[in-house]
Amino acid sequence: MATTQKKRRIKTEGRNSFDFVLLAVVFFLIGFGLLMIYSTSSYEAAIDFNDSAYYLRKQMISTLVGILGLVVTMIIPYRYYKKVDFLAYIAAIISILLLLTPLGITRNGATRWINLGIITVQSAEIVKLGIIIFQASYITRLGKSIRTTRGLLAFFIPPTIAAGMIYLISKNLSSAIIVMGIAVCMLFVAVPDYKPFVAIAVVVMVAAAAVVIYASGNDVSGAFRLARVKAWLDPESYSTDKAFQTLQALYAIGSGGLWGKGLGQSMQKRGFLPESQNDMIFSIICEELGLFGAMVIIILFIVLIWSCMMIANSAVDQFGSMLVVGVMSHFAIQVILNIAVVTNTIPNTGITLPFISYGGSATLFLLSEIGIVLNVSRLSKV
Amino acid sequence: MATKRRKGKSPRRILQEKLRFMIFIIILAFCGLGIRLYVITKDNQNNYQKKILSQQKYDSTTLPFKRGTITDRNGTILAVSEKVYNVILDCKVMLDDELNKEPTLKALADCFSLDYNILNQYVEEHPNSQYYVLKKKLTYEEIQPFLEREKSDNAATIANNKQEDAEKMGKVSGVWFEDEYIRRYPNNSLACDVIGFTGTDNNGTYGLEEYYNSELNGTNGREYGYLNDDATLERTTVAAVDGNSLTTTIDANIQSIVEKYILQFNQEHQNEAREGLGSNNTGCIIMNPNTGEILAMASYPTFDLNNPKDLSAYYTQEQIDQMIEDETYYDALNQLWRNFCISDTYEPGSTAKAITVATGIETGKIVGNETYECTGALEVGGHTIKCNVKTGHGVLDVSGSLEQSCNVALMKMGAAIGSSTLLEFENIFNLGLRTNIDLAGEARTASLIYTEDTMHEAEVATTSFGQGFNVTMIQMASAFSSIINGGYYYEPHVVNKITNSSGDVIKNIEPRVIKQTISNTTSEVMKSYLRAVVDEGTGAAARPAGYSMGGKTGTAEMAGRDRKNYVVSFIGYAPADDPQIVIYVVIDQPNVEDQAHAYFASGVVKNILTEVLPYLNITKTEEMTIAEQEEVDRILGTVTTPDDAESTKYTVDPETGELIDPETGEVVEQDFSIDGDVTDVSDTSDTLDTSENTDTTTQN
Repeated sequence: MATTQKKRRIKTEGRNSFDFVLLAVVFFLIGFGLLMIYSTSSYEAAIDFNDSAYYLRKQMISTLVGILGLVVTMIIPYRYYKKVDFLAYIAAIISILLLLTPLGITRNGATRWINLGIITVQSAEIVKLGIIIFQASYITRLGKSIRTTRGLLAFFIPPTIAAGMIYLISKNLSSAIIVMGIAVCMLFVAVPDYKPFVAIAVVVMVAAAAVVIYASGNDVSGAFRLARVKAWLDPESYSTDKAFQTLQALYAIGSGGLWGKGLGQSMQKRGFLPESQNDMIFSIICEELGLFGAMVIIILFIVLIWSCMMIANSAVDQFGSMLVVGVMSHFAIQVILNIAVVTNTIPNTGITLPFISYGGSATLFLLSEIGIVLNVSRLSKV
Repeated sequence: MATKRRKGKSPRRILQEKLRFMIFIIILAFCGLGIRLYVITKDNQNNYQKKILSQQKYDSTTLPFKRGTITDRNGTILAVSEKVYNVILDCKVMLDDELNKEPTLKALADCFSLDYNILNQYVEEHPNSQYYVLKKKLTYEEIQPFLEREKSDNAATIANNKQEDAEKMGKVSGVWFEDEYIRRYPNNSLACDVIGFTGTDNNGTYGLEEYYNSELNGTNGREYGYLNDDATLERTTVAAVDGNSLTTTIDANIQSIVEKYILQFNQEHQNEAREGLGSNNTGCIIMNPNTGEILAMASYPTFDLNNPKDLSAYYTQEQIDQMIEDETYYDALNQLWRNFCISDTYEPGSTAKAITVATGIETGKIVGNETYECTGALEVGGHTIKCNVKTGHGVLDVSGSLEQSCNVALMKMGAAIGSSTLLEFENIFNLGLRTNIDLAGEARTASLIYTEDTMHEAEVATTSFGQGFNVTMIQMASAFSSIINGGYYYEPHVVNKITNSSGDVIKNIEPRVIKQTISNTTSEVMKSYLRAVVDEGTGAAARPAGYSMGGKTGTAEMAGRDRKNYVVSFIGYAPADDPQIVIYVVIDQPNVEDQAHAYFASGVVKNILTEVLPYLNITKTEEMTIAEQEEVDRILGTVTTPDDAESTKYTVDPETGELIDPETGEVVEQDFSIDGDVTDVSDTSDTLDTSENTDTTTQN
């Protein structure tokens, strides 16, 4: 139905079409995110820094920088990226390699940030954007040869290298998975086949099952990722250490009920869910605003993704579509994985909730990606 | 299967189809997660709510109250509760962030001189310990360095952690201070028997601390968490209500003067006739006869209220160990702690003669113009009871009988008064009854006086000169006060004001007249008699130079009647015409060869009054000789140091009972008037015995 409407209007290629729904949703999510960051972090910030708005203030600055990034990417014609696709990929690889230099910043035992003097940036965020740009361009370059085995291999080599480096150098498995996920999604949309993807899905599931079975049957206290799997299977037994965070998140979600305890009324943020402004912010949303609040957020994300889909559908060229598909898959994967972790549907891994979780570089790059999508939408057929 | 069909499709169609499929998968995933959220909420809402609530801190913390302060009449603090702090380490809180451990333990080690390694070891072994007491009862000054260090360290940590690229630092955390109050007695042993002491349990033992325990104690406050109507946790604080404070009638200056001279006497006579202290006990009460206020109340031996279980001043460590073994340790402590002035009973001896005479005059049985012949002994009920002067006093009038403390004359008066009247007036003078002084541990003496049934001829005789029945010092002082103040029996009291923690007066304790013991006229007559005792009789040794006073000596032979152990005493008042204070000194078995001399007590009284009367701004009314002036200077100038006190030590001439100055070998002039010598009851004591404590009598 929507498509038939679009078909009729497809002829007019205008510069004035601009997806206000997408922008409105993004700004609502960002505003809501700031509110929730203040709600979740004020208690700990007051203790740690004698300043309850410490995280809020930093996030507001990041948001302003991010909006600047959004404006810039919205203005730059997206076709320009095609010319610098290889540069984007190289930049992504260099950003990971910089972690090995003294510019790399180590926090909590993992080196994931690079110090660019005025700001610090998480390399994985650069890589995600770089991969989206590069793979979109790559798909158009490969053309029909992408359906051959060589083409497939060629397609997967760059993201695999990038993901492998992220995993090995910054020990960031979740970002590596997201990068591979984005690439797979983009490929899925680019080719007409289903079978290979079903095969990939099956292989991933079998591998996951194997890991789960191995972890549950063996003593895996040495390997922390396997231990997390075990804690996921049986959180109550690991309630004091490995599954502490997961269980506390579940308590938060469960105790919120349908309407929640009210904004700012979370008990779990007071010491039981440390740094709840990060990965676990969704559980506090559930606790304070209940199932209702959680559903509103999920629906907003669906609207966001739906808007992206519409833009991808109506983009004037394949590169534009592929850029939007990459961004869309990025959001979708992160939102789904984040909520899945919070609800203990999958084992705990550090994935932030786009636009809502605290994090400077994530905000900057996510908003820049939105800028790209908006740019595509400006040049799309309506 | 579908590949053939798709081959014909345009790339846009493929894209749209694939996107539709993808969004379908995504929405499916979101639906799955939505259902998961719904299930978690639906299945576990109550359960998880309970879990969360059970994780919260409901722990209630007790906020201790501050026990009230005890001050003397001028505001000098006698007992005060001081806030102290216990240092508590909550390992669990500290280890919230592993980085906190090192700075916290370092700060603790530095500020409280603890060993870092021991702390570290404890934390390693007990990471979940939440209540590890590191130090106890530190003053605020002692914990201040830590508080400052914590503040500066944490400020530095915050500044550091705000820098993005800096290595994260830990904070000082998990250390808190538990409030507690400890009782301090700034004057150590001063008025120890009156004040009593209190441990950390806020339970007073002896004295004011025990008597006013509930008044001094407040109510503990509490800080606790609770669930409000919306099932959210709230914490609330109920502040502690501090205890009420006591303003006593004690004057710390008078008290310390009294204690000084009691100590002086006891040091002079330490190990003199026997191994041990200068007396078994020495008590002194100074009270205001016109109000019943106790200005000073002391006994010896004393103890340090801050360290009441320290017996080392009176016993060697071996003796203490032995006592612990024999289980007499606590007996010894209780003996030390009890207030001799209100808890111990004894036979008053000749001081009671004032009561006998007052009774006689009040009832008209004696009119004042009677004369009595003393031949040195009197035959009563089959016993020959001797007078203190074996050769007899000759013929004495009523005043003379008191002046010379003649037992024979008093026995004759007693016979004239009669048994029932004597008993009636014992009751009127409150002997045998409690005075209800506001101190813990006042003895009951109801069974220690005669009754109609036990009072026969001989008992009448002994009672008339103060033997055969027991009293407490406070009973005597209160009764004597009524004799010289116009007949008003005031209830003795130690506290005159109770104030709450904000300083508002809750209760004023006004002087309370319990009864009229004798008439004003009788009182005037008694005053003239008692003044004559000091001016011309046995009490002369008690009079401080420059002042007029009245009083009565007492030398009571103790039960056992072996003519070795005596209770010597002096009760008096000053100035003679307008009594402002009553003083009563009792020495239980002075450590001297020959105990039976009241001048031991009179001497102490004189020393005390020489200092106390000028302190009370009582004008000197009597002329002073040069010798007297020198003596006053000597008393006021030398008593403070024990070394100098040596020079005031006299020896007793065994022949005359007079005091000899050991340096000059001369009889010390002021001590000429001894109060009574031993009087024998040529007894067949078995016939006299009606009860244990009415044993035979003797004396003065």
